[in-house]
Amino acid sequence: MKLNSFIFNCPTRVMFAEQESASIASYAEDLGIIKPLLVSDRGLVENDVLRPVIESLTDSGIPYETFYDVPPDSDIDCVNKAAEFAREKECNSIIAVGGGSVLDTAKVVNLCLNQGSDLLANQGLNILHEKLSPFIALPTTAGTGSEVSFVAAIKDLSEKRKLVFGSRFLAPDLAILDPTLLLSLPGKLTAATGMDALTHAIESLACSVTQSPLTEIISIEAMRLLFEHLPRATRNGDDLDARAGTLVASTMAGIAFTNSGVGIIHALAHATGALFKTHHGLTNAIFLPHGMRFNKQESCQVFARAARSLGYADRQNDDTACDILIGKVEELMESISIPPRLRTIGVPAMEGELLEHWSELVLEDPSIMFNPRYATTEDVIDLYKRAY
Amino acid sequence: MPFFNDSDELGTVMRELWVTIADDSSISSPLLSSKLIVRFHYKEPDGQITIDCSDGENMVIEWGDCEKQPVVEMFMQADVAHKFWMGQVNVPMYLLNGKMVAKGPVNKALALLPAIKPAFKKYPSVVRTTLNRDL
Repeated sequence: MKLNSFIFNCPTRVMFAEQESASIASYAEDLGIIKPLLVSDRGLVENDVLRPVIESLTDSGIPYETFYDVPPDSDIDCVNKAAEFAREKECNSIIAVGGGSVLDTAKVVNLCLNQGSDLLANQGLNILHEKLSPFIALPTTAGTGSEVSFVAAIKDLSEKRKLVFGSRFLAPDLAILDPTLLLSLPGKLTAATGMDALTHAIESLACSVTQSPLTEIISIEAMRLLFEHLPRATRNGDDLDARAGTLVASTMAGIAFTNSGVGIIHALAHATGALFKTHHGLTNAIFLPHGMRFNKQESCQVFARAARSLGYADRQNDDTACDILIGKVEELMESISIPPRLRTIGVPAMEGELLEHWSELVLEDPSIMFNPRYATTEDVIDLYKRAY
Repeated sequence: MPFFNDSDELGTVMRELWVTIADDSSISSPLLSSKLIVRFHYKEPDGQITIDCSDGENMVIEWGDCEKQPVVEMFMQADVAHKFWMGQVNVPMYLLNGKMVAKGPVNKALALLPAIKPAFKKYPSVVRTTLNRDL
């Protein structure tokens, strides 16, 4: 088999250990952090999730400022407020503790601190040419992989669309993976965010023109960890081993997709989320088996390799092995109570202009460019009907 | 060795290519529907071309300095542009490795890629006509 040309970057140093967030001050000093802006959300503050980070900084005499007003789906206004506050307080760095919205907000705040505050002028792919200010990310969900990815998406509420920022210089300098930070995450969110990570792993595996042996092996190991640990972490949030497994898997899937891309499943989920405010991980999960079947004609071999590596298939032909893998995804969804239909998560029956608008959003999503199989309007409408 | 010897060659080919695209409604219609103004910046040799579809009816093509404010800007080596029009560029890979830089709301511009693919077939004859060079 001829190998693709590929490029592989992982500029983020990754540290995994239980309770490692309590040692953040030593990492901060290594990175030249003098006065960080601590970015998070109110829910995490109320649940005392930030305590080890705050204690570590305080005990080490590192002054910091706080911005805790990041909403679940962050927007331009939030980024501008945080960046203005950081400038006013002369912060030289960022520490972000949270899920995807918090980490993406922190990335774009860092961009603003270094490139000026005109967000519209800074959106795009590869427009940065130099390193930004020191940035440490501590994920509190196991899903987005934002702690190692090069991309961030921020809502433009006035235009009802997302601004996309992509550059390897956006990636945090350090990701501290501390599974104790995930202990308060409710079961439903654990399941939905975990399925987001699984979708990253599976879609990056399928991106035939950009994937590589490096992303393939990382994706498959992320899948193995998720199949093993996600049901346990969902059932029992205090199971620290299971939390650790899902957290590491999510970061691995983040490394894989930021190097090879995601595909049609993310395009479908982005469009659906934009119109109906559905949860990203949950929407990805519902589209996942349908998207895998759609891509099967192009991705059969690589899905079959994954099924065999995971021990789900042996000597069956590729077609059967691929079907076994899709079946395992559906079994996993059932085991963690992910609803199989869009109609149960608030997506209406679409037709006419609404369906046309939705399909336009799907087909103009950048993710679809990486998909192994070309999709038409009819294809995406068919996928909607299957998932509905 | 770069494909284009100088900016004049690059400008002649790119202008003629876009005029050819503008004259073929099967390719130009989706571009006009987008109402985008897109600017391509080239290096080695240097140059820029602005494609203005903003009125939705006519495609205005301007080589060189242009005061119009583009919605999307693409930056690349002139050789990358040549390979692109030859259909030899893996766009996702070039975006991942930074050989193509996209500034602005890139989703709208990238969504037009399938629409301009038919123009790949026209490129060799544009080069032959303008530079008297076979590909």
